[in-house]
Parts: sequence; structure tokens; C-alpha cells
Amino acid sequence: MNEQELMEAAAAAIVAADEEKAVELARQALELGLDPVKVINLGYSEGMKQVGDLFERGQVFLPEVIIASEAMVAAVDILEEGLPEAEREKTAGIAVLGTIEGDVHDIGKGIVATLLRVYGFEVHDLGRDVPIDVFVAKVKETGAHIVGSSALMTTTMVGQRALEQKLKDAGLRDKVKTMVGGAVVTQHWADKIGADGYAEDAQEAVQKAIEIAETMRG
Amino acid sequence: MAEKYPVRMGDGHFVEMTADEIRAHLIEGSEDAADRGKIAPLEDSEYDFLLDLFTNPARVVGVPQGHEVVLTHDIGTLRLDGDQGNSGVGIPLSRLQGIQVHERAFAADTMELGHVDYSWKPVKPIIAQEQQVLENVLLSTIVPIFYGAMPNLGLYYAPDGPFGNPSDLLPMAKIDEAREAQELAVEHAIRDMVYVATKLWDVGGDAINFDTTGAAGDADFKATLHAVEQLKDSTDLAIEVGMAGEFILGMHGKLEYEGTRLAGLFPHDQVKLVEKAGADIFGPVVNTNTSRSMAWNLARAVTFVKACVEASNIPIHVNMGMGVGGSPVFETPPIDSVSRASVAMVEIARVDGL
Repeated sequence: MNEQELMEAAAAAIVAADEEKAVELARQALELGLDPVKVINLGYSEGMKQVGDLFERGQVFLPEVIIASEAMVAAVDILEEGLPEAEREKTAGIAVLGTIEGDVHDIGKGIVATLLRVYGFEVHDLGRDVPIDVFVAKVKETGAHIVGSSALMTTTMVGQRALEQKLKDAGLRDKVKTMVGGAVVTQHWADKIGADGYAEDAQEAVQKAIEIAETMRG
Repeated sequence: MAEKYPVRMGDGHFVEMTADEIRAHLIEGSEDAADRGKIAPLEDSEYDFLLDLFTNPARVVGVPQGHEVVLTHDIGTLRLDGDQGNSGVGIPLSRLQGIQVHERAFAADTMELGHVDYSWKPVKPIIAQEQQVLENVLLSTIVPIFYGAMPNLGLYYAPDGPFGNPSDLLPMAKIDEAREAQELAVEHAIRDMVYVATKLWDVGGDAINFDTTGAAGDADFKATLHAVEQLKDSTDLAIEVGMAGEFILGMHGKLEYEGTRLAGLFPHDQVKLVEKAGADIFGPVVNTNTSRSMAWNLARAVTFVKACVEASNIPIHVNMGMGVGGSPVFETPPIDSVSRASVAMVEIARVDGL
């Protein structure tokens, strides 16, 4: 098996959520002396991207995404043995997520949290009905790159504006990017309150979070 | 320079578009539905019809006489007195008065009684009160009265219910536990829904509406289908199943009804199962994308609903309103949008009711 074939097989193993195969291919990649970072990025991550696309189109579902991500984690664990210490510690970014105080809807936010973890983010999910001060404290404690807030009601979406202000008051606003989501939230609302990102659905949220994290890392 | 027409975006704000731009959005929206649902896109004459709707300068549009369809309201009793942030205008009226206003002033063809929690589970401990209110409503109105609530399987998961919350378990990769919790919740939800609906039938209830079905995923839909089945065996209640979204979210992913996997079903497939379970009316939902124009959203919604009507042998009462059926996300959707979307649903999708 040459490098290209191994990359394709690695992607296919993730799409098939075949952990055994994914691990076997990771061992093979190390034996062949391939660059582990390249194998992760062009093989396994490509497979995960395909899973994400299928999820967005309603062709695979959350449990399957998670099983695929478990396969990817198992393979990456093997490949990390071939990486220098500094590379092993890397995450895609740190994200703090929660549903605004007064709002108990958290299925969508939970899906975003799961997908962000799948894509290598360190995620601090604060859950539902989260006071604004708790968001701010967690951002401060974790040094988060992104804080994402969800609101499903027009009465709670105003909390997203309050979060912008409280982050400014705490001197954190220029250190963290804000993302907003939820059924009643729109790009127009995000622009109005000065949020950095808005997404229509979980998959788009992940893509935007990746873009934001990459920008922040420069 | 080509003439421009005001068209709303999915979040409600106006942009100006030329007729060619509107047509391009219509085609793109319809093809998105066709691609996702594996159904036929709209035809050229239907794009022409929609384009005429969007370039028509009238603020309000309507269908010709004789083309009118049934106009019904879910959660209508709460829409006037409620002020919960996502619906309601905060006018202090009793639920009975709300129903009477809809029947006598708004010309609603059917109406619905619902409790402020609007979920089946919380109605269980107050069923005697709901029976009394329903009886009073039935004695003072003429139109068919539904009792409506959401299956809302979320109430069976922690912290509101006895089972682990799949939203917490799945991110921890506890997939078997998440699936088991949903399977257990299905059993409890069926029992509660059948109990409450039967009690409402006991006092003469005409009909029930399982509203926002599928909101908590495929388990939510499965519980509803089985509840419908049981109720049709044991009562003569008319049953409507209204949906939460355009496709069934796979929170479990493997649940089936009569051999069909529920996750990922679009309206034209959902209705076949609803019909098989024995329901009398189906209320499909197509969600609005707030970043796209109403032309894109409406063509997309009509494409899905047209396929659903064609697949169905029971009446289709499409959900129209805030963020669904091609209308923008607005607490009270603007009449220019709602009337255009309604005309399109009647004349192209051939729905039986709104």
C-alpha cells in the first residue's frame, strides 16, 4: 500500500466507523515511516469531513458521528507516538459553550459541542440555563478562543447581547471570539450585537469555529 | 437597468432583487430540496407562478374563490394570552375566550386547546382540570376542537425525567446508554400520551394533535406513531400529527417503525408512516434558512410539501408561520410573506389545509 492508498483507506475507515481498521492503518503508516501529521490531516480528517458532510445532509446521525470520531481518536492515539511532545499537546482550539440563562433548549448546542470535540477542540460545555457571569468566568479560567452561546427564544437571545457587554467589562472581549446560534438567532442579530460568528446549523458552526480558531492562531 | 423588487430574507429584512435574481433563487431553493429529499424539483410553470407572486406589488395576496383551504391553528389558545417569547401577544384572555375569538372573529375552521406547558407529560397530573376546560370549550363552540401537546421526550430525560439525557451521554461517547435511555423514554411517553388522550376522549374530545413531533429526535417520532396506533384502536378520536422539522433528527439513529428507519426521513416519507399508524391529518414542516431569501426558502418548502402531498392519502395541513413553510423567523410573521407562502402552498403543493 502506497501513501496515497493509505490516506484513502484511512478516510474510508472513518466513514465506515471501523475502529479496528483505522488503528491497523495508523500502525501501518508508522511502519512505512509516513509523516503522522500528514496522515491525520489528509487521511483521517478527510474521512471525518466526509462524515460531517453526510451528517449535514441527514444521511448519518449523531451516534454514528460519535462512533466515527472514536475510531479517529483511536487512530490518532497511535499516530501521536510518532509525533514530538509539543505536537501531541495541540488542540484545534478551546471553546466554551452554553445555552443562555432562562433557556433550557440544548439539543442543538449539544450537537455543536459533540462535533467540536470530534474536530479536536477542547470543549467546556456549560449546559443549559447558564448565567452570563458563568460564561465569562469560564472564558477567563480556560483562556478560551471561542465562546458560543445558544438561545431558542426571543426572550433569552438578549442574553447574547449581555454576554458581549460582560466580556467587554471583564476585559476579555478582544481575547475571545463570540459565536451565536439557536432557532431565533440570525446573522442580522449577530451583526447587531457585534458577535464574531453565526451559523445556520451544527456543521456550519464547526466550520466557522475552525476558521476562527485558525485566524486566532495566526 | 432591470426593475428591482423587495424580497424578504429568511430573517425578515428586505433586500431588492431583479426578476432574474428571484428566479435563480427559486430554482436553487427547489433544487436543494430535490437533492436532499431525492424528489422532483418544481417545473418551469411553477417557477413562473412563484415569480409572479414575488413581483406582485400587492402587500397581501390570496387564492381565487373556490380554492380556499381549511385554516386551522395549533397552540392557538395560547397565542393571544401567551407571552413566552416565542409566540403570543400577551392579551389577558382565558383559554376558552381565546378559542371563541379564533372561531367567531378569526374564522378558524378548527381550533385547539393546549396547556401552557404544551407537552403531554405535564398534563397527566392535571388531567382532571384539562377535562373540565375541554368540556366547557366543547359546549360553547361549533368548530372541531383538538387538544394539542408535544410528545417532548426531553421531559423524560435528566434533569426533568428518570432517564439519562442523550445530550449529555452522547458527547461522552456513551452511545449504548444514550440509546437505551431513548428506548425507555419511548415506552413511558406512549403510556402518558395514550392515558391523557383517552381521558380527553372520555369527556367528548373531538380530536388530538401531536404537535412538534420529532423535536427530540427519532425516539420522539417513534413514540408518537405507536401512541397513534394504540389510540386509533381504542378510541374514535381524530388524530393529527404535526412535525417539528423537515427531517427526523437521529438522536438514536437505529429506531424503526414497521421496518423503516426513522432517522433522516423527509416529509414525503414521514407521511407514509403517519398514515400507516392510522392518523387522519399530517402537518409537515419545512424550516426556514435565515441567511437565504424568501424566494429560496419558499421554493424549497413548496418542493418538499408538494412531494409530501403527492405521497399522501390523508389530508396535509402544512405548518405555516414563524420560521417554517417559507415564512421568515418573526414572532408574528409579516402578512406579505405569510400570504405569499400560503398561496404557493395551495396552488403549487396542493395542500388541504394551513
